[in-house]
Amino acid sequence: MLGFLLRRLGDIIPTFFGVTILVFFLIRLIPGDPILMMAGERGVDAVRYAELKAQYGFDQPIIVQYFNYLLGVFQGDLGKSFVTKRPVFDEFMTLFPATVELSLMGILFAVCIGLPLGVIAAIKRGTIIDHLTMSISLTGYSMPIFWWALLLIMFFSTTLGWTPVSGRLSVFYYIEPTTGFMLIDTLLSGEKGAFTSALSHLVLPTIALGTIPMAVIARMTRSSMLEVLGEEYIRVARAKGLAPIRVVMVHALRNALIPVITVIGLQVGVLLAGAILTETIFSWPGIGKWIVEALNRRDYPTIQGGILMIAFLVMSVNLIVDLLYGVINPRIRHKR
Amino acid sequence: MSDNITPSAASEGALQAIEPMAAPPSPMRETWNYFKTNRGALAGLIVIVIILFLAATAQWVAPYDPIAQDRTAFLKPPIWMEGADPRYFLGTDAVGRDILSRLIHGAQLSVSIGVFVVILSMISGIVLGMVAGYFRGWVEVAIMRLIDIMLALPSLILALGIVAILGPGLKNAMLAIAIVQLPHYVRLARASVVGELNKEYVIASQIAGAGHMRQMFINILPNCMAPLIVQGTLGVSSAILDAAALGFLGLGAQPPLPEWGTMLAEAREFVGSAWWVITFPGLCILVTVLAFNLMGDGLRDALDPKMKR
Amino acid sequence: MALLEVKNLTVEFGSEDKPFRAVDNVSYSVDRGEVLGIVGESGSGKSVSSLAVMGLIDFPGRVTADSLTFDGQDLLTMSPRKRRAITGKEIGMIFQDPMSALNPCFTVEAQIMEALKVHEGGSKKERRERTLDLLNQVGIPDAKSRMTAYPHQLSGGMSQRIVIAMAIACNPRLLIADEPTTALDVTIQAQIIDLLLKLQDDSDMGLILITHDLALVSEAADRIQVMYAGQLFESGPADSIFAAPRHPYTQALLEALPERSAGHDRLRTIPGVVPGQHDRPVGCLLAPRCRYANDHCIKARPDVSDYKGRDVRCFYPLDDHGIPTGQPADQTTGGMA
Repeated sequence: MLGFLLRRLGDIIPTFFGVTILVFFLIRLIPGDPILMMAGERGVDAVRYAELKAQYGFDQPIIVQYFNYLLGVFQGDLGKSFVTKRPVFDEFMTLFPATVELSLMGILFAVCIGLPLGVIAAIKRGTIIDHLTMSISLTGYSMPIFWWALLLIMFFSTTLGWTPVSGRLSVFYYIEPTTGFMLIDTLLSGEKGAFTSALSHLVLPTIALGTIPMAVIARMTRSSMLEVLGEEYIRVARAKGLAPIRVVMVHALRNALIPVITVIGLQVGVLLAGAILTETIFSWPGIGKWIVEALNRRDYPTIQGGILMIAFLVMSVNLIVDLLYGVINPRIRHKR
Repeated sequence: MSDNITPSAASEGALQAIEPMAAPPSPMRETWNYFKTNRGALAGLIVIVIILFLAATAQWVAPYDPIAQDRTAFLKPPIWMEGADPRYFLGTDAVGRDILSRLIHGAQLSVSIGVFVVILSMISGIVLGMVAGYFRGWVEVAIMRLIDIMLALPSLILALGIVAILGPGLKNAMLAIAIVQLPHYVRLARASVVGELNKEYVIASQIAGAGHMRQMFINILPNCMAPLIVQGTLGVSSAILDAAALGFLGLGAQPPLPEWGTMLAEAREFVGSAWWVITFPGLCILVTVLAFNLMGDGLRDALDPKMKR
Repeated sequence: MALLEVKNLTVEFGSEDKPFRAVDNVSYSVDRGEVLGIVGESGSGKSVSSLAVMGLIDFPGRVTADSLTFDGQDLLTMSPRKRRAITGKEIGMIFQDPMSALNPCFTVEAQIMEALKVHEGGSKKERRERTLDLLNQVGIPDAKSRMTAYPHQLSGGMSQRIVIAMAIACNPRLLIADEPTTALDVTIQAQIIDLLLKLQDDSDMGLILITHDLALVSEAADRIQVMYAGQLFESGPADSIFAAPRHPYTQALLEALPERSAGHDRLRTIPGVVPGQHDRPVGCLLAPRCRYANDHCIKARPDVSDYKGRDVRCFYPLDDHGIPTGQPADQTTGGMA
């Protein structure tokens, strides 16, 4: 297991350095002078220009600049936003819980719906239920989620009036962030109705964000389940006189989950990409919306830092998934 | 040139006699035979043909100029609704443009985006992947490491980063999406080449003195095409989807271009008032993407020898 | 009354109008303390018939029988729940490939204890002790440390012992062993058979030994049932079948045994293969491969009839000298030489 972990780290660390090089050069590749860009429309005089250049280290050789940047990254220094002048890392950390909350709900939705759908489709293979489930899944997989989100708003918010259109919480409440997770914070605050409000704000973004992962998980679960159900050990389990439900839920599902776990892990990237669109539409104050705003304002340090943090996140989650894979699959666990 | 074969009663009779033990169908034919039994895939193909037709003939099929504004008809609903303008079948948008015409011209844009992105991405991906798989060593390490880095980022975020460098616009968005799709082709091509490299026919032609170029592109490539074709079909759908997403975020096609994602971005503010300006462009994206996905799935099943029977 | 009574068991796959009969009206019975050998080439329906007894044939397969009783209880009409209470407890089954018969995600201990828990309950401690007993009983060295092993850490022979331990966990009265040694090394095969026979003898179980290995059943079985393409071809006491086969197929199988080929240059074989779904002959299913087949055999299908106290499905059963009886001498077409 330790060897496995070290091998995966050996893959990931060079990739991470690669990403730092990529985002470092992102800024250099942009046409135009970063100092002039930072100064904005007011411009700077020559003295101030030289000062700024020295302050940001732009006067040094590019390699030195890269190593300074790298050193900063390891200390959590991702530079300062051109727009707010606040450290990018701090801004990221403030907004991050909102995205995590939404993503967790999204993946929860995807797993809770997708997994049973896939299992049912596999058990009822070839029937109308199977065809229906797989049609839903393929449609979800092909769904432009920005449109899906608008449809959801149109139907549930404007027509039925069931859910709010945007934001994380009704304006009637003010909750001091303690954990940053609105569901937890509202519960802690003890304010009446605040939790319900937070929950109702989460429903539509969750569905919009969770739809594609749901479809992918359903498809993967079905095919993996079908493969496992044909295995000899399933027959053996049935020959023991076990109830069909136990055969499916314990013997088949446990094995079928192994590839599904990997797929769930891969959905983290999909979720973060989806968060950009979903957060924009629902005015959800998370990192997705933050990056889009930074793009529109050409706030390059923010874009740079945001991309680096997302890459770091995706790689970390993939590593965790790999380790989880080892826990669930004894063949990997014992491999040296 | 002695035996000039002419279709005669005799030769027809001979053909009929031979037919029961005819040679196995050509690979193309066999794939098609298998493909057409898949109803979903066939439906996808039909939809794609319709979309391609509309895209090719948009100038003549579309009733109006997609960017012409009719100041007498703002936000008119489709004709089956109350208060509709009978001239505009699917209604008009906020500045009085015919939605149907915009959608048809949008098909043209989306198809060109899909095709251009896939061709660009596939060709460069195949070249990179084949070079990596064929030469191995440090070339392979360098290429695959780069691909790993690209895969560490969610595709839309990588595309956003590239657009941030290049600046917004349809061309840059297409380029960004092509770059984002690159890793899939590189990985597939490399894996196929590594798989084929030790086969007898490659070694045989190496002994016969075939050069690297001939080995890579004439001997090996045709044998790795099946998974690449499938990936290409699925690539069209994700290119269309990503382009629409970039358009929606205001970083892809710019107004007044009738790109479906851009149309949605313009329509966003009418979410509570004019359902048609939102519903139709998204439906077009969904149907097109679904059609390509259905066909890609069907092709995969038809081309994968393991799945047959 | 016999422990297991099977009368005219039929298993069909495929569409209703054009079904494929994997098992065709097969009857047999097994008594307590008896070893029944079911012999046949692959594709002869011997595994499918035992799966039908276990109730493991799924839709779209269809199982029908005049009667299928275990200890007087009708297995076909009882509720699924009641039937599951018998499978795994009263009837145990051992499968062909031990390497794929164990669930890779669970430990040895968990997989054996599961059967105990479902059928016998008891505390976890009791079940663990029983499992340890079982592992010792099936001859696993250092059983205690193997309890927590995963299937991929075990060899084939070891896995098969575990599978056996699992099948006998609840002291079944009938054990079905479907090719229990085929996937194992030759050196291990004899050990496993010896183990099975010892377990059978110790607890007076009924044992159905399914195999394509005639030599194996010759030593182990009390009675033998020869199957071909889903049909019963011959059945009777083991020693008398070996002394004087009544069916040409049994004769050919016996002649193919290495020890009976002494004095011949090469092993004798039966040409051709068992007919599958699409190439079933109209007449006797063996006709294309039978050395004695004549026109009648090619056109008509024989029924099972009694010949000298043996059930035989042949128009011209063999006499004590291995010569077909009642056959007009000039009609032989000579399927095999």
